[in-house]
Amino acid sequence: MKKIYPLILIFTFASLAIFLLLPEISGSRTLSEYYINSGVKDTGVINLVTAILFDYRGFDTLGEATVIFGVASAITFLIPKRKASMTSARFSPIVNQIIKLVIPFLVILGFYLIFYGHLSPGGGFTGGVVLATISILFTITFGIAYSQKMWSYKAKSLMESFGGMTFISIGLIGVVAGSNFLANGQAMFALGKSGDLLSGGTVPLLNLATGIKVGAGLAIIFNSMIKED
Amino acid sequence: MRFAYLIVVILFCQGLYIILTKSNLIKMIMGFSIAESALIMLLVLIGYREGGTVPIIYRDFSTVVDPIPQALALTAIVIGASITAVMLAFTIKIHKKYGTIDLNEIKELRNQ
Repeated sequence: MKKIYPLILIFTFASLAIFLLLPEISGSRTLSEYYINSGVKDTGVINLVTAILFDYRGFDTLGEATVIFGVASAITFLIPKRKASMTSARFSPIVNQIIKLVIPFLVILGFYLIFYGHLSPGGGFTGGVVLATISILFTITFGIAYSQKMWSYKAKSLMESFGGMTFISIGLIGVVAGSNFLANGQAMFALGKSGDLLSGGTVPLLNLATGIKVGAGLAIIFNSMIKED
Repeated sequence: MRFAYLIVVILFCQGLYIILTKSNLIKMIMGFSIAESALIMLLVLIGYREGGTVPIIYRDFSTVVDPIPQALALTAIVIGASITAVMLAFTIKIHKKYGTIDLNEIKELRNQ
């Protein structure tokens, strides 16, 4: 009997949502038309999603990166234990050897995604997640002690702080140059020939900063959550 | 094409139902994740255009899908992953304190 109220609520919500979504959405899309038509000229970046994330709405991306920083600090604060016994599984040598073989390729893939984020699908967040996977694989297969030895907690927190500070410093350069925070083309940054690896002004640098920050942050989150008494 | 929106509504309501009715905290977190994936699907659907290509402009194009909802979907994924991590951390804390993650049992333990 108690479950009838959630059902009524959900049916009301579903009928409302269908009523709202089923008619054709026919609003004008002037903003996205503008981005598609002059985004490459404004930013020098051919990947429009990256152009929106790191140029037009770079301040939002700074907020996103701050969310990951906040979550990492909150979780290390909530679970401050130093020992990990959850990963007590023993794997056969085949697994360990294959993981050791795969990890260099993962490093290359992560940095490729970060550096080519303004030319192809990918970017700082995706590449950062791939870099965090390395730490997760180390922790699962070899245990947390080996993972801490390979990529220590201090190095991770340093990398995360470095990424955040780099992001903010690049943003402040725009202010010093007499434009807005995180200004790209309006400040003195050369946009380059769009389509080249070194194009888009601040966008590749911001991608690199975000990638380092996200990778270290997610690795800290995972390594903190695996710890217990 | 319109039916895809129906799938979004069904998925979101499934997640909402799980959040409202289950008493196991892990199942509640799963409900949050299901509802979140429905929202990401909605963002992708809003940006879809008939016959559109990927929003990477390196040659002549006729139609491009809307890039703004894709950027917002990236934000939604990042925030969703962070929130899931925090919820799991709190679940670990609750299990350490009460020895259970069932909300009804926790309620009984608190009333004692």
